[in-house]
Amino acid sequence: MKPPPFTYCDPESVDEAVGLKSEYGIDSLVLAGGQSLLPLLNMRLVRPEALIDINRIGDLQKIEPRSDMLEVGAGVRQYELENHPQVGRLIPLLPEATGCIGHLETRHRGTVGGSLAHADSAAELPCTAVTLDATVVARGPSGTRTIEAQDFFRGWTTTALEPEEVLVAVRYPVPPQAAGHGFVEVARRVGDLALAGAAAVVNLDEDGRFTSVSVGVLGISDTPVRAWAVESALIGEASTAENIARAAEEIVPSVTSGDDLHATRAYRRHLARLVVRRAITAAVARAHERSDGT
Amino acid sequence: MTYTYIGKDRRRVEDPRLLVGRGGYIADLGVPGMLHAAILRSPLPHAWIRSIDATEALRLPGVVAVLTGEDCKARMNPCMSFGPATITQYPLAVDKVRYVGEAVAAVVAESRYLAEDGVDLLKADYEELPPVTDPMAAMEPGSALLHEEHGSNIGYERTFEFGDVTAAFAGADLIVEDTLRWGRSAGMPLETTGAVAQPGFNGVLEIYCNSLNFSYFVFLIAATLRIPSNKLTLRPVPAGGSFGSKLAAHKVPTLAGFLALQTGRPVSYVEDRIDHLENSDHHGCDRIYEARMGFRADGTIVGLDIDVVDDYGAYMQFGVGHHGNAFSQVVGPYRFRDVRYRLRAVVTDKCQQGAYRGFGSEVHNWVLERLVDEGAARLGLAPEEIRRRNFIQPDQFPYKIPGGNLYDSGDYPAVLDKALSMIDLDRWRAEQRRLREEEGRHIGIGLATTQERSVFSATEFWFLLEKPTFPLTSSPESATVTIDPTGQFQLLLHCQSMWGNSPETVGATLLAEEFGIPPESVNVRYADSAHALPGTGPGGSRYTAMVAGAIRGASRKLRQKLVHIAAHTLEVAPEDLELVDARVQVRAAPETGLTIAELAATAYFFALGLPEGMTSGLEESFTYDHPYTTLPAPDGSDLGVFYPIMGHACHIAVLEVDPDTGMVSFLDYVAVHDAGTIVNPKSLGGHVTGGATQGIGTTLYEELAYDADGRFRSSTFRDYLIPTAVEAPAFRIGHVQTPSPFTEYGIKGGGEGGRMVAPAAVSAALDDALREYGMRVRQLPVKPWEIVATVQAGRTAQGWV
Repeated sequence: MKPPPFTYCDPESVDEAVGLKSEYGIDSLVLAGGQSLLPLLNMRLVRPEALIDINRIGDLQKIEPRSDMLEVGAGVRQYELENHPQVGRLIPLLPEATGCIGHLETRHRGTVGGSLAHADSAAELPCTAVTLDATVVARGPSGTRTIEAQDFFRGWTTTALEPEEVLVAVRYPVPPQAAGHGFVEVARRVGDLALAGAAAVVNLDEDGRFTSVSVGVLGISDTPVRAWAVESALIGEASTAENIARAAEEIVPSVTSGDDLHATRAYRRHLARLVVRRAITAAVARAHERSDGT
Repeated sequence: MTYTYIGKDRRRVEDPRLLVGRGGYIADLGVPGMLHAAILRSPLPHAWIRSIDATEALRLPGVVAVLTGEDCKARMNPCMSFGPATITQYPLAVDKVRYVGEAVAAVVAESRYLAEDGVDLLKADYEELPPVTDPMAAMEPGSALLHEEHGSNIGYERTFEFGDVTAAFAGADLIVEDTLRWGRSAGMPLETTGAVAQPGFNGVLEIYCNSLNFSYFVFLIAATLRIPSNKLTLRPVPAGGSFGSKLAAHKVPTLAGFLALQTGRPVSYVEDRIDHLENSDHHGCDRIYEARMGFRADGTIVGLDIDVVDDYGAYMQFGVGHHGNAFSQVVGPYRFRDVRYRLRAVVTDKCQQGAYRGFGSEVHNWVLERLVDEGAARLGLAPEEIRRRNFIQPDQFPYKIPGGNLYDSGDYPAVLDKALSMIDLDRWRAEQRRLREEEGRHIGIGLATTQERSVFSATEFWFLLEKPTFPLTSSPESATVTIDPTGQFQLLLHCQSMWGNSPETVGATLLAEEFGIPPESVNVRYADSAHALPGTGPGGSRYTAMVAGAIRGASRKLRQKLVHIAAHTLEVAPEDLELVDARVQVRAAPETGLTIAELAATAYFFALGLPEGMTSGLEESFTYDHPYTTLPAPDGSDLGVFYPIMGHACHIAVLEVDPDTGMVSFLDYVAVHDAGTIVNPKSLGGHVTGGATQGIGTTLYEELAYDADGRFRSSTFRDYLIPTAVEAPAFRIGHVQTPSPFTEYGIKGGGEGGRMVAPAAVSAALDDALREYGMRVRQLPVKPWEIVATVQAGRTAQGWV
């Protein structure tokens, strides 16, 4: 279990990294925390000509909270996102979901950008990005562009990044303060990639009716899934258990993963329904708490 | 019997070096000029090897050699095996591959990186054969054959009957019948198996390895390598865990030795994790049972009828020893006398079975307990009550069981009572009802009482065979105790014992007990095979009891010498002296005496001060044979005494099942074990914890899965799920001590016990949690979706949906 030969590059700036990406293109991979890439490399499941280590680029390691938007550098460690006080205050879904990634030890190495770029459909950060309508910031030779999270995840571990681009940051719009959030996942063991999971952010009116609902689901398809049908089934409806359960049924057609060692397809469908219902229920409870508190 | 050091919690003397990273493991071992090997693993479950083209690999700078099965066939003999002679194996597949992951070729290079680059460049050409994966189908006449020479995929078939099961069942009020399936799991030590072989002094091949009870097996490895056994030295290297997987992991040192002989240079071969998962030769049992148990209305068990098919994988290195092992405790702790046991061992396109904590008897325990639980449920008896009614009683020992083995001693009601005293079952049962009614939660309570046989003897390797070729009866263990000229103690162990129950701590504690010295002051060393006295090594929970016999024997001789030197020096009769706190003193006048250090100085430096006829030095060795082995009857009607040192345990698990996800979490877990006299409760507790956690793994998480096409689906830890500290319950451990009448100090083995019990207790708790839905665990591991499906079906039947 040793990697095949590769050229190791450790640029000190984003520009330098983009230059290397332009030079090596599709034959290069970016090394951030290495929590997914290094096992793949050691098992020779990937064979890049060049490995571009971005760990020395300080510009990628910043968290910048603003009133309406939170920008997180691609090199920020997951444990920093999990424990950053302003992140928890502005977007409490993020630390809650991030705390479910792997184990404390892996979160100390794993990065936000690495998880997004690896794009495992069972991973927490891609799912929350989709749920929160985040924007991915990519830098290439011709400059910076932004990609909606919805458009960023293209397929199983496949993103919209071009071969010469480097993912530099992710921008999360800050939800209204009264919003409630929920995050639920089911895994065989703590720290395993989830069999299914859901993130939800909801807003309720004074009568407890949904004014906005945003639900993302992980682990059920090639990409994280935005549960549009669930959301539209709830808008304007009362936040009752019956309504939530009925709406959660709408996720079932989106479950495309087949049988594997850890779940049958039927079980995943069942879990998808369950996590959606539980995440929305948790979000509603929090929204009620928040409105009671203010 | 009261002891000063034995029986006290003691920190392991091994720990300081391990905790600061100075374990000295095989992967850290460097030898000048050492090469590294990597293997090409078969991508196919079953195929003829047409050709292997190494041209490109050999062209890669740094690649020194490529060896294949053709080289093995030409220049070595098949690997050691206790299985049928018509099922042979080499370290590299010869002629055909028989499972995904089987080693096909080895590339030897200047570094492991280059060796793996070389493997990438090999071109192997195969002719695919139909995969044989289902053991039932494999027995059908039309099935493709794994071993043409053997002529069948059935490696072994025989029915044993002790007593008269038909007659016993005729008198039964209830016969419980079930199909039970135990899935494949395996020991997963942090460190895989590895070896470094080098051509050494005088043409001796030296193999450093972290595996293999070498003093038992060294001549077999030499025979495989076609060298005289005095030209092969195996050197023990610390092992980072085994759980059985290193017991007789012969292929790795054999391959490293072969590669060193072929290249004339030192070669390191260390399995990587994929090698270990796919090609370790140490997958655990994989069995399908048709099992029946008869009961009288009062719960008395009258008999057991088993028809088991065991999917051994591609080879049978231990024959069917795993079933011999089950015969050691075939009736469990219960009194019934009639047993029928039909065994069919089948070869399939999977990695072969080896040893894993329990060695087959843990499976039998699970089957027994599954049947007892079903009987209890059908007869309306509490699980503890049906067991109490069937226990062999304390005054019945020594107790000869059907089949021939003997239980030395025990107090099973005391173990059950102790477990029940540690957990308030009435309170839990009330809480179970309350949580179900008030909060809709599903709590389950499971109880199991099982045997934990210990201290194997060698007859189990062959007594199931109709015509054994090598009916071995020895399984000794040796120790050498040296007191140096300053009075410091050295303990030399004569096997690869760097796994098992903390042998250094055990040895140091026993020497402390014998001589009154601080245990931490003892230095422990390991002999290599060229210097080793007879030894068998850890396995079958034998090492503590066996090495204790050896250490006590050597200590007795050494104590006698000390006393005679003191008697001579002090001019008193030896019988008037006693050894107390590292000092030989006059019984009647304790102020008169000589310390061990003073006596050691005389022993080494003042020969003229020694009694007449005594020679200089203070070193004694002792070889301790198995304390109680008898020969089996040639016709198989009685297997003899082979595993008489019998421990016992009771586990009670309390868990909660989420009926919507099928996920399980533990609320409480009590484990009480009787392993006779305990040397170190702390380390035995560690064994119970680890073994029970592995039992939970086998029950709920771990699966070495092959699909119907023979593809292996568990080749990383992303798919092979080992329970971690998070999944493991906070075990509460209790001990009962019923000394063995047959071993020194009354010690019994306890290394495997946790895994002997936990699957039964956890299975029972799952049934109990979901009883209203008709839950019945019949197959391990239990998958969460099976739990959800049972709940859903149950709810549908009850008209919920």
